[in-house]
Amino acid sequence: MKQIGTISKRWRSSIPLLLCLFFAQIAIAQVRISGQVLSGADGSTVIGATVKEKGASNGAITDIDGNFTIEVSDANATLVFNYTGFTQKEVALNGQTRIAVTIDEDAGLLNEIVVVGYGTQKKSDLTGAVGTVKARDIERIPSASVDQALQGKIAGVYVTPASGEPGASAFIRIRGTGTLNNSNPLFVVDGMLLDDISFVNPQDVESVEVLKDASATAIYGNRGANGVIIITTKRGTSGRSAIVSLSTYYGNQQIAKKLSLLNASEFAQMYNEYKGTNFYTDPAALGTGTDWQDVIFRDAPIANVQLGVNGVWKKLQYNLSGNYFNQSGILEKTAFDRKTGRINAEYPVAKFLKVGTSVAYSSALLKSVNGGIIGSAYRMSPVFAERDSTGDFTDPTFFGQALANPAADLFYKSDWRNRVNRLVGTFYTDITLFKDFTFRTNLGLDKWGVRLRYFEPAFEVSNSQRNPYPRTSRDTTNVRSWLWENTLTWNKEFENMTLNVLGGQSAQEYRNELRRTINDTLQPNGQEIREWAMFSFIFRTNATFFDRYLLTVSLRADGSSRFAKGNRWGYFPSVAVGWNIAQEPFMRGQKVFDRLKLRASWGIVGNDKTQEYPSQGIITDELYAVFGPNETLDSGATLINYANPDVVWESAHQTDIGLEFAMFNGRLSAEVDWYRRFTSNILADLPIPDYVGSQATPVVNSAQVRNTGWDFTLNWRETRGKVTYNFGGILSLVDNEVVKLNQAKSEILSENLGQGFVTRTVPGQPIGSFYGYQVDGIFQNTEELSQYPKFGNEKPGDFRYKDLNGDGILSDLDRGFLGSPIPTTMYGFNAGIEVFGFDLGADVFGLSGNKVMNAKAASTRFAVYNWERLFFDGRWTGEGTSNSVPRASEEGLQHNTRMSDFFIEDGSFLRLRSVVIGYSLPRHLLSGIGMSRLRFYASGTNLWTKQDYSGFSPEFPSNNPYAVGLDRLYYPMSKTILFGLNATF
Amino acid sequence: MIYKILFPTLLLFLAVTSCQKDFLDRQQPGELTFDKFFQTPEHAEQATNAVYNQFRSFDCVGLGYLGCTDIISDDSDKGSTPNDQPPLTDIDNFTLDPSNTYFSAVYRGYYRAIARANIAIENIPQIDMDAALRDRLVGECRFLRAYSYFLLVQWFGDLPIITRTLGADDYYAQTRQPVAEVYNQIESDLLAALAVLPEKDAYPAEDLGRVTKGAARGLLAKLYMLKKDYEKAEQYCMEVINSDKYSLLPKYADNFKQVGENGAESVFEIQAAALPTQQAAGPGASPYNMIQGVRGNPNLGWGFNRPSDNLVTAYENGDPRREATVIYVGEVLPDGVTEVKDNPEILNERFNQKAWVPAHPGLQDNGPGNIRIIRYADILLLAAEALNENGKSGEALQYLNQVRKRARGTNQIILPDVTVTDQSQLRDRIYRERRVELAMEQHRWFDLLRWGRAASVMQAVGKNFVAGKHEILPLPQTEVDLTGMPQNPNYN
Repeated sequence: MKQIGTISKRWRSSIPLLLCLFFAQIAIAQVRISGQVLSGADGSTVIGATVKEKGASNGAITDIDGNFTIEVSDANATLVFNYTGFTQKEVALNGQTRIAVTIDEDAGLLNEIVVVGYGTQKKSDLTGAVGTVKARDIERIPSASVDQALQGKIAGVYVTPASGEPGASAFIRIRGTGTLNNSNPLFVVDGMLLDDISFVNPQDVESVEVLKDASATAIYGNRGANGVIIITTKRGTSGRSAIVSLSTYYGNQQIAKKLSLLNASEFAQMYNEYKGTNFYTDPAALGTGTDWQDVIFRDAPIANVQLGVNGVWKKLQYNLSGNYFNQSGILEKTAFDRKTGRINAEYPVAKFLKVGTSVAYSSALLKSVNGGIIGSAYRMSPVFAERDSTGDFTDPTFFGQALANPAADLFYKSDWRNRVNRLVGTFYTDITLFKDFTFRTNLGLDKWGVRLRYFEPAFEVSNSQRNPYPRTSRDTTNVRSWLWENTLTWNKEFENMTLNVLGGQSAQEYRNELRRTINDTLQPNGQEIREWAMFSFIFRTNATFFDRYLLTVSLRADGSSRFAKGNRWGYFPSVAVGWNIAQEPFMRGQKVFDRLKLRASWGIVGNDKTQEYPSQGIITDELYAVFGPNETLDSGATLINYANPDVVWESAHQTDIGLEFAMFNGRLSAEVDWYRRFTSNILADLPIPDYVGSQATPVVNSAQVRNTGWDFTLNWRETRGKVTYNFGGILSLVDNEVVKLNQAKSEILSENLGQGFVTRTVPGQPIGSFYGYQVDGIFQNTEELSQYPKFGNEKPGDFRYKDLNGDGILSDLDRGFLGSPIPTTMYGFNAGIEVFGFDLGADVFGLSGNKVMNAKAASTRFAVYNWERLFFDGRWTGEGTSNSVPRASEEGLQHNTRMSDFFIEDGSFLRLRSVVIGYSLPRHLLSGIGMSRLRFYASGTNLWTKQDYSGFSPEFPSNNPYAVGLDRLYYPMSKTILFGLNATF
Repeated sequence: MIYKILFPTLLLFLAVTSCQKDFLDRQQPGELTFDKFFQTPEHAEQATNAVYNQFRSFDCVGLGYLGCTDIISDDSDKGSTPNDQPPLTDIDNFTLDPSNTYFSAVYRGYYRAIARANIAIENIPQIDMDAALRDRLVGECRFLRAYSYFLLVQWFGDLPIITRTLGADDYYAQTRQPVAEVYNQIESDLLAALAVLPEKDAYPAEDLGRVTKGAARGLLAKLYMLKKDYEKAEQYCMEVINSDKYSLLPKYADNFKQVGENGAESVFEIQAAALPTQQAAGPGASPYNMIQGVRGNPNLGWGFNRPSDNLVTAYENGDPRREATVIYVGEVLPDGVTEVKDNPEILNERFNQKAWVPAHPGLQDNGPGNIRIIRYADILLLAAEALNENGKSGEALQYLNQVRKRARGTNQIILPDVTVTDQSQLRDRIYRERRVELAMEQHRWFDLLRWGRAASVMQAVGKNFVAGKHEILPLPQTEVDLTGMPQNPNYN
């Protein structure tokens, strides 16, 4: 794959300048040297690289074939080769007059260019906290979505796969959970601002930058509070001949971990105990029965093909790509299929004018199964077969429970398909004015259609699993968003000061239309249009004094249509300073640090993500009454969902102090950041008492949350002869705490699983902490029943909960904090080595400090009718048999499934996220067949996980901050082994 | 060249900048917002109709409602298959946990009705419209609010009294008011409604089913019975009787058939209709019939609310009302064709015939049956009860026997007239008559509570009823958690 040059185009403007320099200096040369510059990655020629004699001012530029000639002062001079995006290379001539030089892509440690909001900056000039992931790391994770690949890659960026479903995206939390509201970051794809990046083909991505602190995000104002993720796709590379690249992989996925449930004879034994009957006279005779997980899960293939062309044609720089991705799901009948195409191009119309575009089209189809089939398989008794002796699906309601036969659901409910066609593009024009000024107008467009179609035939398996009439439901969503931004940039170099001033304006409109029909009949309230608009002014100054003192000041003013007049405009300032200590005169002699930079930033960033009309009470119609002898409908309408006219955006005050350093000629680089993010006026729709009578919970500015933490990053990269190796790691520590709740509220209780709320948000604790009783043990005998406080109906074998408040009676006042679902520590390590054409790499990722709740067991009351093995193995069967797992008894069920720490488990895990081994054929073998690169590889994803949690996997993200860490049986994760090749022509 | 491009761009920039005010003013397309509602007579009517609408919701007349009325009483058992709906089993067995989902269902359902009524009562008076219609609509809403509180107060005791639309600052600040205050609120709403509501026959035909003066009198009578103010109870019963707007249908069973809907005996009922639909439930449906419908063959519903053994034995010999109340296996349904088959999943199956509905378009979810809330027979028996308490046993007998006579029909052998005049004995006869006349119509539990007999009766049928606790339900746990309101005594 080509990974070169996204950045280069942005700095291409410096080439004419260097050219002038070269011609001015040519006169004093004496010895004529010629040669060719090649790229180390694929052996292609490098056009436009600069060649200079070390210590002199003469230079040359490579031509279209990578050739150059230069006159040097001495036959033993040293030549310095430079090309943007590549590491500088020095070659001593030692008398040669004809040389071939290979330059390598910049390892990214010293001269890295970083994409920031509305521009780029040298990493060394940056005052903000910005993390970067390059194409190489993104391609390593076989996934339809870019975000999955960010897991464990950037300190402070916590990525959780939404589920294991094919095509699923991920939840991203940057520097903790900042709000009780939507905590998702803002995405900027090639200049287009959006909330969903499912259309981006990961293999089109050049780099992903994560803006973490206020200095970097305040320029995005009302949308930056939860961080900003900038995705830059691959651009046409200036000065390179056309390159065709092909890459493909094919692999197999398997469920990473199955649940441990009972087999038929164990189930029968348990059922007899549970009912206190001898329903199954000979449990052992039932054997193993049906493993319903085997019925619904399978091994599934995954495949991907990418074809790209990159080059320059008559000054038009282009990058074209097409991709086909096909992932079958490990759950039967689920699959994701996507075709994407992308055109990125830029054309210099005139010296002062260039136009460019970046357009992507994506057409994706997700097939799925309707209804909670994984939950059905979990609850289904193993004594049932898929089909009965007559060949019909087995009616599973034998026990009176409304269970669904998963095999029948697979058969009847699997005609569910969601097609998403989406076009996203930006079009820009850059005009250079008076040398120092650049005006850019950027038009962005995002248009997508979602067609969800579900057909269910008429069928009847049981009273509760049936459908009397065939039904086709269609949800049609059309989204259209446009963005228009105009910025003027002034770049000026003064003596001892460089200045970069940016001012501009931005407008964006978003419209979402939904239409819902069943059998082609529009449903009640089945048509809905939602819109929002934002109008903004942008200002930023970057100044560098004496090459070492950095200052960034920014301000964004955002007007958001979400809020009522008077509450509409928000102002989001930031100030940051940096000090490149290594550039100080007193540091000049030292050899320890290549870079040493201290930086600090402060700013206010906002979040307006809430419903589109939180301040407007919208009248609900179709609330019909029936009157008259003919029983006709009389139209009814009123306000049933209350609104809050006073609502305003939430604001996050962020402080960041960072230290960056590089040592050993850039081989080691490291970064440490301390931050504090204080979010107030949090927008949330909190549970309100039922007596209010509102059907929806109105959005209020409801709370304050503080996240403090540390981000550590360390990388080592070195080439020794034929061996290049690297290793690195990240570590993030986060402390999440609710500081205050408004409206005189002392707590927010949420997530009623049938026996009251299970999470509680209170000042002094993390958001959405688990809340319930603490199990003190099991009542072993009747004496104990009279010794300890109890609810009343307990019997021996039931849980003995702690009387937390010590008042001698058990009541809801004895519930307490049972742990937090938010990890306090996140870490990742990576290592790689390249030698003799082989490359080997591995990533691990881990979390700790978080708890998860086995909500599936609590809400289905131990999964009746089947049981989890831990319940079977550990259950109390008489005095002294167990002090941790209760008896199997229907009678004790209500009591024993109260929310307690019995259902809380450790959510820590350590996962081998990816391991890759590849081999690239030597270049001399390939040149004969017109290829510059051919690499074969094998990779494994999620091959090994160390977890304590008993469920599929301990990752349970949610957009609802009170519902994080609840295992409600999501589509499980898979492990993948695949084989692939990369070829470049 | 530069300026050719730059100039229009700047112009555009300025144009966009100057119109940002309109650009940021957004209302949801195709939707009406609250500030534009309550402007026209149509809005007034729609807001009132929306209150009626809530009484067909699952929360108001679904499993929770039947659980907290019939199933909790000695009239019926949970029904359906043994393990279907454990929270209802808990209610049937007096394992009353504050987190039981059906306590919050009815609590939520009727408070939502109250909220819909409040917003209409607050805003309709400001609309420029026909004064009589305006007053009537407000009167309807006040009745419906009173009816909601009437149910809630009998279930839960002390209640937050909400009579206006709460703002964000008030959400958590409400407190429970004593039962007497809730009664006062109900009384003032009903008296206000009575003053402005038309009689049943004074409504235009297309408004048949709206609440009437008679309904307001009937509910006032019920309220005073609850308050043991028998003088006033008698007064309002007599006003209903003397209004000459109501009479008993000749056939008892007709009350619960389509022909009986809004008939001469109907004082107040919740209107429902099975309109053709592509969905499970049509826009005029209630879940009431489906929940109680025959489960199995014919498959009419879920089979909850099974008439209890105790109820079946409570009828006098040959009382035809039993046949009109209970569906047995092997019985031919009132449609005269369909026979109910045995369902092996259900033990001892029986179903509530009063909730039976004939074939209708769509699925069983599309329940068409009106839910009878106040029947004239109910008023007559209340009149008898009040008169007896007021020492007028002679007059009491007249109304009691009127009900028995109708039940008897042409069969002179059964249900002879009651003649006892001893107050205490007559009281027992009236109580017994109320039970069988109104069985499975969700009155029994409230009657037992009102008579102070819940503990003795429920304990006698072997229920784990704790006196001093189970007379009122626990407040929903979520509500206690959110507000810190005190829980009812002896519930944890």
